[in-house]
Amino acid sequence: MRERPAWATGVCAGLYAAGCRDAVYVPDNQLSHVLAEIGERYRDVRLALATREEEAVGIAAGLYLGGRRPAVLLQSSGLGNALNAVTSLVVPYQIPMLIVVSMRGDVGEWNAAQVPMGRAVRPILDAIGIAHATIESPADAERIVALTAATAFGTRMAAACLVPRRITSAPAP
Amino acid sequence: MTRADAVARVAAALGRDALAVACNGMIGRELFTRADAPTRFYMIGSMGLAASIGLGLALVRPSRTIVVFDGDGNVLMNLGAIANVAAAGAPNFHHVVFDNAAHGSTGDQRTISDRVRLEDVARAAGYRRCARVSTPEALDEALAAWFEAPGPSMLLVAVDRGNLPGIGRVELSPAEIAARFRAVCTSS
Repeated sequence: MRERPAWATGVCAGLYAAGCRDAVYVPDNQLSHVLAEIGERYRDVRLALATREEEAVGIAAGLYLGGRRPAVLLQSSGLGNALNAVTSLVVPYQIPMLIVVSMRGDVGEWNAAQVPMGRAVRPILDAIGIAHATIESPADAERIVALTAATAFGTRMAAACLVPRRITSAPAP
Repeated sequence: MTRADAVARVAAALGRDALAVACNGMIGRELFTRADAPTRFYMIGSMGLAASIGLGLALVRPSRTIVVFDGDGNVLMNLGAIANVAAAGAPNFHHVVFDNAAHGSTGDQRTISDRVRLEDVARAAGYRRCARVSTPEALDEALAAWFEAPGPSMLLVAVDRGNLPGIGRVELSPAEIAARFRAVCTSS
């Protein structure tokens, strides 16, 4: 079996350490490593598939209101789909969640359709007041995800952890 | 039947522990004005997501009855939620749709729910029970035991267009709504 990339095992360890036992997701290629790791190694984490990212944020809001600490896993393109839910539900109601963003459109991209949103992710998050951090190396992933989650649940705001393509597109060791 | 009357009748049929999520617009304002309680979550934006919030809640609180107060415009904005609710099959999830075939909160512009019957969509997706009622008597009869039988269910209530003059707004801040609701969701 091909070894799972270190960034993906780090993301899972970080969200688990932060107390997330629910992950609502719309998958992409890169996130499939995270989903597989959760499915295999973190059996007590509930995975919930959404039809689109806006819905994922809604389901995560329901999970939080029910007492959980939800994570949302999505691709940068999907952050665009989720924006109204973030700005009119998550922010005003102070509903915290960890958002893990698999980045597209940054260095290493081949698909022109991914570039505009990929470039806009950080300015958009800044404009709507969502704290964000970028994983700079695979070894950093666990710590950055855990810190981002601590920010989210400590401040009762969503916080986003961005996983750049230069990390996710590297071949597994 | 007016929508405000229908909303009040459904609210009166809820058990004390039932948790209600109301969509944005007039439906939430009517529920707040007629039957506010800490067990109600009122949306003021994020149109279309009431059912998604209800689904998350149903998954994590399987012993509580979850009732989503929704509108036809809201349901149509997020039809994927119907598919996901059906796929999850949560027996404690109940969808009540107040259908006036119009965007009643923004000037009664017509929707397409007069041509696409939403209870048929829910049935086709896999909701366990679906029904349409259009009179107060039929609504009360359906409500007598509706929330005791397993869901996912959709009760579609056909209502008249038009809004109550002078209906109030939800007076709590969004953060207060969430904090109050979360406290009762996690209390048992």
